[in-house]
Amino acid sequence: MSTADRAVRLADLDAALARGVPLPRDNGELVFDEPWQGRALGMGVAILDHTGASWAEFRRHLAIAIRHRPQHPGESAATAYYAAWMDAVEALLAERGRLA
Amino acid sequence: VSTEDGHDHHHPRPDSQVALRARALEALLAEKGLVAADAIDAVVELYERDVGPQNGAKVVARAWTDPAFRERLLENGTKAIAELGFVGAQGDNVVAVANTPTVHNVVVCTLCSCYPWPVLGLPPTWYKSPPYRARMVAEPRAVLREFGVELPDEVEVRVWDSSAEVRYLVVPMRPAGTDGLPEDALRALVTRDCMIGTAVPSAPESTL
Repeated sequence: MSTADRAVRLADLDAALARGVPLPRDNGELVFDEPWQGRALGMGVAILDHTGASWAEFRRHLAIAIRHRPQHPGESAATAYYAAWMDAVEALLAERGRLA
Repeated sequence: VSTEDGHDHHHPRPDSQVALRARALEALLAEKGLVAADAIDAVVELYERDVGPQNGAKVVARAWTDPAFRERLLENGTKAIAELGFVGAQGDNVVAVANTPTVHNVVVCTLCSCYPWPVLGLPPTWYKSPPYRARMVAEPRAVLREFGVELPDEVEVRVWDSSAEVRYLVVPMRPAGTDGLPEDALRALVTRDCMIGTAVPSAPESTL
């Protein structure tokens, strides 16, 4: 996949999540407090590419994960978000029987 | 670079649980053949370009065009960078080191992958690789040559070992022939690698 294609995919993802479970941003820019959060984002995008699952499907898992894992006191919004994000990656793969 | 010899070199705060989990998940995905590390790298690289090195490039371009800012930057990197709105986690100190005609600076983290991510985004994969970490200290000139940076013998190479407390940002020399360029055009010349020290910026072809 070319860089341009990936950029479009990331923009699509951003738009798809904007309603309900938007990527953490500050002043318009994506926020990553720590490198692992960027890796987590990358895992999500790569998993969708690999499984062919839709953004909508991922968004559903993410919304559930966020409900189950609210932001803890003393933890940043981005930390909470990307922790739930990893839950969503696992849930999506589990649903598709890919983690067995 | 030992922590046992009483020399105060602090390496990473222990990774948080959630960071460890991210690493474990990535390893699991790789093991199951679901995702290759380079697919994740590719995504990371995308927004690195968006949010990461661009910040550092703004800092460098400002330093090139504003001598007073440059002075503040070299005096107290964290504070000067904060003037531009880039702030990291508490306790992260960014030290800016300037290249000169006689000194070339390059950054490594020998024990892990400490990196000034508020200004540079996420580290490239090679930065975290054991060969880079070991060889940049042992034979910096050879490694720099592999990156395409040829330095004359009289140029001293200074290798800065990052830690959890101190992250280094290389301020490259402004390329010759860029006197007429405005700050935003200068930014485009400053790549991530220039600010790690594994590249040097060059003037855009149209001005040569």
